[in-house]
Amino acid sequence: MKVLILTSGVPFIRGGAEILADSLRDAVCAAGHQAEIVALPFQSCPPSRIPEQMLACRLLDVTETCSVRIDRVIGLKFPAYLVPHPHKVVWLLHQHRTAYELWDHPAAGDLIHYPDGPVVREAIRQADRTFLPEATAIYTLSKNVSGRLRRYSGIDSKPLYNPPAHAPLFHKGPAGDYFFFPSRINPVKRQWLVIQALAVCREPVRVRFAGEADNEAQQAECTKAVRELRLSDRVEWLGVVSEERKRDEYANSLGVVFPPVDEDYGYVTLEAMLSSKPVITCADSGGPLEFVVDNQTGLIADATPESIADAMDCLWAGRRRAATMGEAGREHYLDLKIDWENVVDKLLC
Amino acid sequence: MLKINWFSPLPPAHSGIAQNYAMQILPVLARRHQVILWTDQDSVAPEVERIARVARYDPANPPWRALNDADVAIYHLGNHGGIHGGMWQVSRQHPGIIVLHDLCLHDFFAMVFLRTLEKPDAYLAVLQRWYGAEGRRAGEAFRTGGMGAETMAQRFPLTREAARAALGVVTHSHRTLTELGETPACPVAALDHPFAPAGDLPYQGWLAVRRSTPSPPYRLVVFGYLSRNRRLDSVLEALAGIPERDQFRLNICGQLWDESHIRAEIERLGLGPLVNLHGFLPEGQVEEQLSTAHLAINLRFPSMGEASGSQLQFYNYGLPTLVTRTGWYASLPEDTTVFVRPEHEVEDIQAHLRAFLADPGAFLAMGERGRQSLRNHDPGKYVDALVEFASAALNFAPRIPALDLARSIGGDLAEWLHPAAGGYLLERASQEIFKMCAGKISRSRPEGPV
Repeated sequence: MKVLILTSGVPFIRGGAEILADSLRDAVCAAGHQAEIVALPFQSCPPSRIPEQMLACRLLDVTETCSVRIDRVIGLKFPAYLVPHPHKVVWLLHQHRTAYELWDHPAAGDLIHYPDGPVVREAIRQADRTFLPEATAIYTLSKNVSGRLRRYSGIDSKPLYNPPAHAPLFHKGPAGDYFFFPSRINPVKRQWLVIQALAVCREPVRVRFAGEADNEAQQAECTKAVRELRLSDRVEWLGVVSEERKRDEYANSLGVVFPPVDEDYGYVTLEAMLSSKPVITCADSGGPLEFVVDNQTGLIADATPESIADAMDCLWAGRRRAATMGEAGREHYLDLKIDWENVVDKLLC
Repeated sequence: MLKINWFSPLPPAHSGIAQNYAMQILPVLARRHQVILWTDQDSVAPEVERIARVARYDPANPPWRALNDADVAIYHLGNHGGIHGGMWQVSRQHPGIIVLHDLCLHDFFAMVFLRTLEKPDAYLAVLQRWYGAEGRRAGEAFRTGGMGAETMAQRFPLTREAARAALGVVTHSHRTLTELGETPACPVAALDHPFAPAGDLPYQGWLAVRRSTPSPPYRLVVFGYLSRNRRLDSVLEALAGIPERDQFRLNICGQLWDESHIRAEIERLGLGPLVNLHGFLPEGQVEEQLSTAHLAINLRFPSMGEASGSQLQFYNYGLPTLVTRTGWYASLPEDTTVFVRPEHEVEDIQAHLRAFLADPGAFLAMGERGRQSLRNHDPGKYVDALVEFASAALNFAPRIPALDLARSIGGDLAEWLHPAAGGYLLERASQEIFKMCAGKISRSRPEGPV
């Protein structure tokens, strides 16, 4: 079978979606098919560009190219999943979130700041309602994404979990004296919330942040907050780290802190569980809540500095408890039987 | 309950929309929905702030984030460029419901583009957009004095320009936009202009005053914003031309478009002792004038297509009225008003004045029937219909970017593709654009009264 994986993104920015597309392609090929990724550049600003890109996707014909028939298309991201194909399956990573649940989010909302934001939002929603059902099947990344799709678009779908890239290579190491927070640095991931939490911790908690800021201003804001709160000796910015280094940071951490806003899925949670580490997340963090069992595989805090500080203090002072939770997390992951074979079977059946 | 951004003139603005329409609608609307009153006026009367929260905006830099917190914006546009200019500037960027208080809006756009914004090229461009080269040439002639404002308003009303980014358009006239040749690309509803009549007790008081002065001189009243199309010249000429003129006193109440001209005409026609110019009247003096008047003269020609809040005010006071048989006025009940033919203006006014002198009682009865007709203008029903229409029109939001996209694609293709080669691509693009708004256009409400 010849399979095209359709996604969209920002050139030169690489994140979870790009890793997932690569992993999916590899898994499809490993199953004996041919697969390629078609990644369309996407620009969301100004909003008037968005309908243009939606139309561009609709006008793409990928049923065959140069007499080569494309047997299956897998759409991952907006607006790439709008590309028509008679055998299209959507595996929805997320819809265009600022047209939905992040519309009026104080930090992440973007369309809301433009005069034509509301009508572009409605155009996006209308296109999703119209074109998503064209797919022969709709899967999503998580229950959280399925819930949103049902709530906002009235479309049913099935969650289809996938493992993090290089899952077998994650390992357990001795618990060090830091929490690990790997993620892109932006307001939705809420590094700032953890920094504020550190300022009210009773224990001398330390955090290592890994990942690149979406822009320089966001990194500068975080750095400034650390300086102003006099936390320089308790915060480390590792920047972009290699996969190997990342796995080591997981392995040698006391636990993982990951409090994003309504995360679609959250590989960080799964990677922590594979590394036998407890996860501190928030009650509004979305995807991680599908895996973190409060007080068993991690702690679920309120999205306040005080509540996150309490959780970090709790594990910092209770290292044995942290280790027990980490082990429980790994067992829970294994029980879920999350693997690529299952994903490929579903998407290509 | 909707959260509504409301853009209209508000008291103390010298506008019937502010003084009458808004003040009758807003208390009802604010009781049923969450309303924010946006204004760029220098001041807003304290009684307005008691109805709903007043928020200020700069038309050059509107607070989009705050505006986007509401479900829908409702803009009120009329021909006064100074009063409506700011809200139009917001409306063309931030789609909402446009309530048209005038249907012919050339005067408005001429004032905004040529005087306020000083953008003559933009003025000519909008004429070109809707009326092609002919519109552009007419605009050039208008700028150099070669074509009059009234002709421009009738031939190039520019109503579609006002509705260009609208989710829906509301009119108060049964004269349809289609009839005017100005059907916009959005749903249209014609609602009866709202009016809350005063209670029976004051009304009976006004009637008693009017009945107690059954002998000449009879008080005629002209009222409202008195632009050129209010035909004051004809009224003065008609009055001056009848021997019975001393049996009337004409009270002109409202802001005049050219006061010195009217004063000169009064002087020329020797009407000085018979005519009083009162200027814009505060609410208390309106009652004094209208409750003691015997006959109102409410002419329009050419009509800008508007419904007249003044006319409903006359009905409220039980005043018989002379109106022009044109536009919305032509649809008024025959037994509540007397009609003046545009082409026989002076002659008809004089005939009606003589008829009044012959049988004032018949005119009094006509005014009382006018008062009864206000039952069709209940503000509560109007608010419900307006909000229902606005809620339905929100479904059409995806069409706005779709239309922009269609214009953009069409323009692009025309630049680089031969029409013969572009046909297939245009068809595919238009099909997909149509699908993006998912056939919503076909559910458009037929134009007509709601």
